Amino acid sequence: MIERIGYLWPEIVLFIGACLTMVIGLSPNADMRKQTGLIAGVSLLIAAALGLATPAAPTWAILPGIMPFAKPLIALVGLLLLLVNIGSVDRDEEAAIAAGKPFNPLRVTGAEFYAFFLFSLMGAMLCATAGDLIWLFLALELTSLPTYVMVVLSGRGKKGFDRSQEAGVKYFFLGALGAGIFLYGFALLYGGTGTTQFVEIAQHFAAHGMNPIATVGLVLALVGVSFKIAAVPMHFYTADVYQGSSGGVAAFLAFVPKTAGMISILLLVSTVGWAAGQGSLPPAIESLLWALAVLTMTVGNVLALLQSSLKRMLAYSSIAHSGYMLVGVIAGPGDGSFVSSGIAAVLFYLLCYGVMSTGVFAVLASLERKSGGEAVEVESLDDIKGLCRSHPWLGWSMVICMLSLLGFPPILGFFGKVPLFTSALGAGHVVLVVILALNSAIAAFYYLRVVAGVMIDPESDSGVRDTGVPARVIAAVISGVLVLGLSVFGNVFMGSGEKAAEVRRFVGQSDEHDTDSVPLDEHSEAAEDEHHAVSH
Amino acid sequence: MLATLATVDVKSYLPLGILIGMAVTFAVANVVMSKMIGPSRDGPSKGIAYESGMNPVGTARKRFNVRFYLIAMVFLLFDIEVIFLYPWATTFPNLEAGTSEGLVWLGRILFFLLTTIVAYLYGFRKGVFRFD
Repeated sequence: MIERIGYLWPEIVLFIGACLTMVIGLSPNADMRKQTGLIAGVSLLIAAALGLATPAAPTWAILPGIMPFAKPLIALVGLLLLLVNIGSVDRDEEAAIAAGKPFNPLRVTGAEFYAFFLFSLMGAMLCATAGDLIWLFLALELTSLPTYVMVVLSGRGKKGFDRSQEAGVKYFFLGALGAGIFLYGFALLYGGTGTTQFVEIAQHFAAHGMNPIATVGLVLALVGVSFKIAAVPMHFYTADVYQGSSGGVAAFLAFVPKTAGMISILLLVSTVGWAAGQGSLPPAIESLLWALAVLTMTVGNVLALLQSSLKRMLAYSSIAHSGYMLVGVIAGPGDGSFVSSGIAAVLFYLLCYGVMSTGVFAVLASLERKSGGEAVEVESLDDIKGLCRSHPWLGWSMVICMLSLLGFPPILGFFGKVPLFTSALGAGHVVLVVILALNSAIAAFYYLRVVAGVMIDPESDSGVRDTGVPARVIAAVISGVLVLGLSVFGNVFMGSGEKAAEVRRFVGQSDEHDTDSVPLDEHSEAAEDEHHAVSH
Repeated sequence: MLATLATVDVKSYLPLGILIGMAVTFAVANVVMSKMIGPSRDGPSKGIAYESGMNPVGTARKRFNVRFYLIAMVFLLFDIEVIFLYPWATTFPNLEAGTSEGLVWLGRILFFLLTTIVAYLYGFRKGVFRFD
């Protein structure tokens, strides 16, 4: 356990950053308080650099290469999310203090907000480091608990705060339910295999095959974790919570818990599937994931069609994207190359999704309109009509990110989706691929509606204007540029995604305490040797 | 399903089954037996709220100052700190003597204690310790 500290430097840096923001954010000096965002940004940058340098292939990891990919990804998208979230809290309070109101530490929440922001990202990174069930549970909870508070804190004005409180309470209770379900699943998994270590669980399955208790445990664990990725049937909170929180926090919710949940699902299914020496998942788990993926894609896309609120639409679209990623999980590692590995596809898609969804939410967070004397965030498509003319930078970023979310050919989202298709086809899931393609077609309708509204329609007269926080506009533009840039230079990340998706396989042995493992490419040879030995 | 169930070591769950059985028996037996052999007398003084033998005063829906909860949470910090100090303290004497291991372990626990101090600093700045 102790030697794992060497893999934890990015998390430690984020932790120190969070401690600093917590104390400095409550300074009576306004200039000091303004530094919290800077501290968070610097610690994220350092964490990204340290994450890139994480040594790969430790013996306790079930996906040995995932850390050097996932940690910088979380830190760098976290940096974008930080830009979107600048000014999410305390904007009115700070303005009042600058105008002469006395400083009251109980009314200022920037310290908590940025500290929780870093804690949640740290939790997502810890999920990638997880080597056993208890660690994974703690990491998932560390990802989620701060987000409940962030949702509540993000409300602005009296009405906004009422709505964010409601969203936070809903999110908290449903999150606790999800946590209860997967914790119960973890307990049964432990009961069925006698160990909490992923590697030992995989060895147990390799030696003895599945047993019913472990199967039930795994099903519960997957269903519980699907709350984090907002997969149907655990998706009910999504639209309400995204709508109730500010644009920046909604962007955060769309990426961070989803990444943590997706990484957890990859670790869990790797343990039972390919790591246990099988080509694919056991039938029970595969059919569960199949149903989850199909329902998630379809329900997400169909309900997104019916929304008039942009944030609700994006919430359902985020559900649909979770469904797309589950297709990659079902496809499995294939022969390890980028086009055939579903795991690499999921990891690369997380990168694409993180950038493009942050871009869309950043545009929404950059705009506001007056409603009853209070500035409120833009809500409906009517508000952002003609955005390309009134706010060209924001408008074109929106168009690029929306087309990317749709998977329009030469843009990033397309290159994210192709490996999902090819890996699922390679694994023989033709029906799933057809459903995925149909869903992409349904999704075109609501994404193109926004694109057309932003590009073609005349400017709206609802008095939409910039929020006056330049960081958010910068975040939107950076996302747009990144989407275009990654469309051209994405192959670099495809290569690292392929490396991150390397799986370990344990040959079926009667001695479950044997810790020998055979890397992917040697597996077939070893099996062949064994075969020869038997036949001679 | 049943065939595979047989491969699970059911015997290892036997103590758990006995424990659940005892818990259920104890609960049911208490209710049934007090119903059967207990004298059933009722009255106004039996109907009042139980306040550890005192006469109850005032309403139960009284509001407490939120600081009670803040203090309670600060106190929890001590609890957590002590819980983590115990395993550290029992492991420390078993470290190999003459190596740098002891220093490393000391550094780790000091880092942990430092984080608790950060929590107090946060509480202090938030005004938890200010009574007015």
